[in-house]
Amino acid sequence: MADPLLQLNGLSFSWQQAPPLLSNINLRLGPGEIVSLVGASGCGKSSLLHVAAGLLEAQKGTITRHYNRQAMVFQNASLLPWRTCRANVALPLELEGDPEATEKAQAALEQVGLGDHGDKLPHRLSGGMQMRTALARALVGAPDLLFLDEAFSALDAITRKSVLAQFLGLHRSLGFGVLLVTHDIDEAILLSDRVHVLKGEPGQLSPELLIEKARPRDLSWRHSAELGALSRQVEALL
Amino acid sequence: MNRLAPWLTMAFLLVLWSALASQYPPILLPSPMEVGHAGANHWRQIAEATQWTAFAAISGLVMASCIALTLAVAFVRYRWLELALTPFAVLLQTLPVIVIAPLLVIWLGYGLGVSMVTATLVCFFPLLTSTHMGLSATPKEGLALFEMHNASWWNTLVKLRFPYALPLIFSGLRTAVGLSVIGAIVGEFVGSNGHPASLGYQSMRALRSAETPLGFAFILASAALALVLFGLVRLLEKKVIGPWHSGAQS
Repeated sequence: MADPLLQLNGLSFSWQQAPPLLSNINLRLGPGEIVSLVGASGCGKSSLLHVAAGLLEAQKGTITRHYNRQAMVFQNASLLPWRTCRANVALPLELEGDPEATEKAQAALEQVGLGDHGDKLPHRLSGGMQMRTALARALVGAPDLLFLDEAFSALDAITRKSVLAQFLGLHRSLGFGVLLVTHDIDEAILLSDRVHVLKGEPGQLSPELLIEKARPRDLSWRHSAELGALSRQVEALL
Repeated sequence: MNRLAPWLTMAFLLVLWSALASQYPPILLPSPMEVGHAGANHWRQIAEATQWTAFAAISGLVMASCIALTLAVAFVRYRWLELALTPFAVLLQTLPVIVIAPLLVIWLGYGLGVSMVTATLVCFFPLLTSTHMGLSATPKEGLALFEMHNASWWNTLVKLRFPYALPLIFSGLRTAVGLSVIGAIVGEFVGSNGHPASLGYQSMRALRSAETPLGFAFILASAALALVLFGLVRLLEKKVIGPWHSGAQS
């Protein structure tokens, strides 16, 4: 078995003096895998994602990382409003001092179908286009692991469908691993290889639910009886 | 109609002023016409005085902006510094500048120096507050993004915190620019002996020698100066943040 990209062992986390938010978290994410964390609002999903990404420090447990590059997409696109789309996408590379940041940003924009919109400021774009720009910004550095923090939940149903289809296509061609936090059970099943439910106080992860549906997956699978049955299994764990 | 509103208000105020002035002698309340005549007869004096006061006000505004920005950045970087200095910044704000001005005359002597410092003092606090609030209001997602890509503290300040703070910094500047003229004039009341003959000195001299229409003309020049400086700040705001910040469009 290949080394996992990310492995969390016995992780516990709390905010300063507050009672523990997460306890004894164990999670493994292999290369190219998509693993989802599902749970009710406030259960600590996003905190767990931030701990896994190294943005928050766990009080207990170990995190093993076998990857070079990581990126994150947030619930709102979080584009810098004074920068053009291209400059937003170039930002991660610019911070790392890459002299070809602009050219690579343009290529990433073309990858998400926004090649002609590079000169526009974010407020000139629709919500879906903003999210695709955020996706391009995350992918511009060719990350091995992508953290998605409710990345699709702010989109309307029609836009979400097209962004999800595009995301599945990008995952198929680029093969990055994904740790996805969502409260949308169907979305988690549709995208993931494995789904974990986070619940309780402090939050603990349920045993994983394996999604054995072969890839490439089609969005129409979302309305299938098979996905409906899996969805009920996840609901039962919540 | 919206564009006409301020002009209509102005016309109404002029009519009201004229009506009131007709009830009193010019030494108590000159009419707009008398003020206009006094202004036209002494326009060189008024222009020169306005230049000096503008110089003091703008210098004060620039100095206050530099100190406020430096301190606000230091507050964001070092929390202990914020805790240590904020009470003194508030204390400075509560001291009436008219009380400090005579002290400044003792320390700096008569001249523009006093009015530049009083302008700095009155501008400083709103600029510090707005800049500090702006630099502290960076969205957490932006900070996470920069942290994730190992951005240096300096890069995070220049490429993230500072641009996000600009709308609030400009809001502080808009408040401070009017105060800078008031601060400069208060300094001139106390700290000017006629060299240079700035607006504060000239208006006080005219009113003391019962040249009320000329005194009014100097006062109106002060108001005009504040309006022009405010307009320049608005223009700068529109130029710098207008394209991406809706608040600057209006």
